[in-house]
Amino acid sequence: MQADVRGGPRLSEIVGFLPLVIFVGVLVYISLNAPNFVTVRNLELVLMQSLPVVLVCVGLAAVVMAGGDDVVSGGIDLSIPATAVLSAGITAQMLSLDYSLLSCALAALLACLVVGVINALLVTRVGMTPLLTTLAMFVAVVGVNNVITSSRRINVDHPWIIALRGTEIGSIPLGIILVAAIVIIGYFAMHHTRWGLNLQAAGGSKDAAEISGIGVNLLISHSFVVAALTGYVCGFFLLARGSGSSPGVQDNLMLEMVLATFLGAAFSPRRVVTMWGAVLGAVLVAAISIGFKSMGVNVFWTGLIKGSLIVVVVAFSAISQRVR
Amino acid sequence: MSSSATRQNHLVQIFLRFGFLIVFAVFFVLFAVWNPVFLQGGNLLNIVEGSAILLIMALGLTLIVATGGIDLSIGIALDFGAAFAVVAMSSYGLDWFSAACAGIIGGSLVGLFNALLVVGLRISPFLATLSTFFIGSSVQRIFTNGGGPISYRRMPEEFRNLALGDVLGVPTEAVIATVLALIYFLVLERSIWGRQIHAIGMQRSAAIVAGIRVNRILILCFVCAAMTCAVGGLIAAANIRMFTPLSGFSYLLDAIAAVFIGAALHPRGRPNVLGTVAGVLFLGMIANGLNLMGLNFNTKDALQGIILVSALALAVAQRRARSS
Repeated sequence: MQADVRGGPRLSEIVGFLPLVIFVGVLVYISLNAPNFVTVRNLELVLMQSLPVVLVCVGLAAVVMAGGDDVVSGGIDLSIPATAVLSAGITAQMLSLDYSLLSCALAALLACLVVGVINALLVTRVGMTPLLTTLAMFVAVVGVNNVITSSRRINVDHPWIIALRGTEIGSIPLGIILVAAIVIIGYFAMHHTRWGLNLQAAGGSKDAAEISGIGVNLLISHSFVVAALTGYVCGFFLLARGSGSSPGVQDNLMLEMVLATFLGAAFSPRRVVTMWGAVLGAVLVAAISIGFKSMGVNVFWTGLIKGSLIVVVVAFSAISQRVR
Repeated sequence: MSSSATRQNHLVQIFLRFGFLIVFAVFFVLFAVWNPVFLQGGNLLNIVEGSAILLIMALGLTLIVATGGIDLSIGIALDFGAAFAVVAMSSYGLDWFSAACAGIIGGSLVGLFNALLVVGLRISPFLATLSTFFIGSSVQRIFTNGGGPISYRRMPEEFRNLALGDVLGVPTEAVIATVLALIYFLVLERSIWGRQIHAIGMQRSAAIVAGIRVNRILILCFVCAAMTCAVGGLIAAANIRMFTPLSGFSYLLDAIAAVFIGAALHPRGRPNVLGTVAGVLFLGMIANGLNLMGLNFNTKDALQGIILVSALALAVAQRRARSS
């Protein structure tokens, strides 16, 4: 009897690690078959590639932590990629009209804040579910951005924006340092401040949080504004990565963001969305995409592989919860 | 002073109560005044005909949302329906009816896969259908060598009539959509199965306790929804005499919007067939009206998005005002 009690958690611990084990296994397989995969240069490439997704994942993690992690009724912000594209679009368009970078950045900031505040108001005041609100906002914001940019590609060669991609500080690219700093600030804000802990309490159980005097709606509003801000910063990394703003980036970014954040939940011990899990998910997804590319796997197959990975990882995390 | 305040409050209440109807009417009048063509019988028929595929997709989605889930892969079911039917005719020379059946069976495969993930592996519907979306898109890319359309110019007349023919002067696609809407209405709102489906969606654990065969019903719902969307695929393929890979995705956001507008119109906020029909017609009217205003494509898109957000917000606010 006692052996059963002790055996239970051990089994669940093993199953619980499986999602990560599978991922690492796939990466080992790739590195055995693609000779150049495990080089500093290539790992840097993986990180650089994942930066925009990492940024929006930080924002999404904040919203999910504040709203609860039920995808349909809990907190989710699908509009972050649209906000990112809006930030990139406004900046690119204004730069092409010879405004200074500072005024471009301020205008984009204002627009992104408006998106965040509208999301917050619709969810907390009107009482719409976040999934519905942010999906509709995604459509509207992309529409507005297409009006601003006339749905065309705008090249950007401003040295400061290209610096996000090219400049290195002590052989580490500037972009990686900046995003790492944002992730660390995000982590501290979420896990080591009163505000962050209240935010998590609100997401854990809305009723319990409200009874203990936490202003749940205000915190949920904060999380949407934070998400919009990560989208805003992400816009500049999109400009750097693509040397300009191009239409249609948002769809793929949304899929990768959702994929990475919820895969991240499968990596965490309690199966909840966390900041680290989301970041790890984003980097691993980029690593696998680039890995299969350098192995010479046909691009048409990447969707199939990504889809199967979600199934395998999420299924294992569901099984481990049942074993527990 | 206080009486004027209460009267003002009263007006707000009236507006909230009938808000969505008022907005529907305001837009209707606005479009009619702007361009008299809008009101002509032919154009109103255009709206209905143009909304047929969206209505069919939204009906399938209504079924899934009623069970408390979500289906992001309805577009894949549409693509599979179109692909199986076109290939059955062009490569295997089947007659139009067998080809239509092949298309519907092809679509049902998507539903079966979803059911396997959601019921069999207990993955949450959002993540399960997201991976179906990834896998299904990838399968189409592999099958078509990167996403080129498969056209079949010598499509039988009977099959083409699914989109281009008419029954007593009413376009066939509108007839098919209406018949499906009627069947869905009878099953979902007027039958014991419908009660059971809604019971699962409202409180799953209570439904299990009440002895409802939850798993069996969920499997049936996913398969039926996918088959319904495949019918939309048949119409789409008949319309342009070809299968265009990944074309179903464009209906997803509108279908979700229609279902949730419909749910917001329901007194208890449940997804329902009549509401979905109203949502689809509203979206169709807006798209048609904005087209007739002769706006630039980008402006039209942005306006449509903004109207979508406002309409959803109003519909939700209205429901809350009614229930309070």
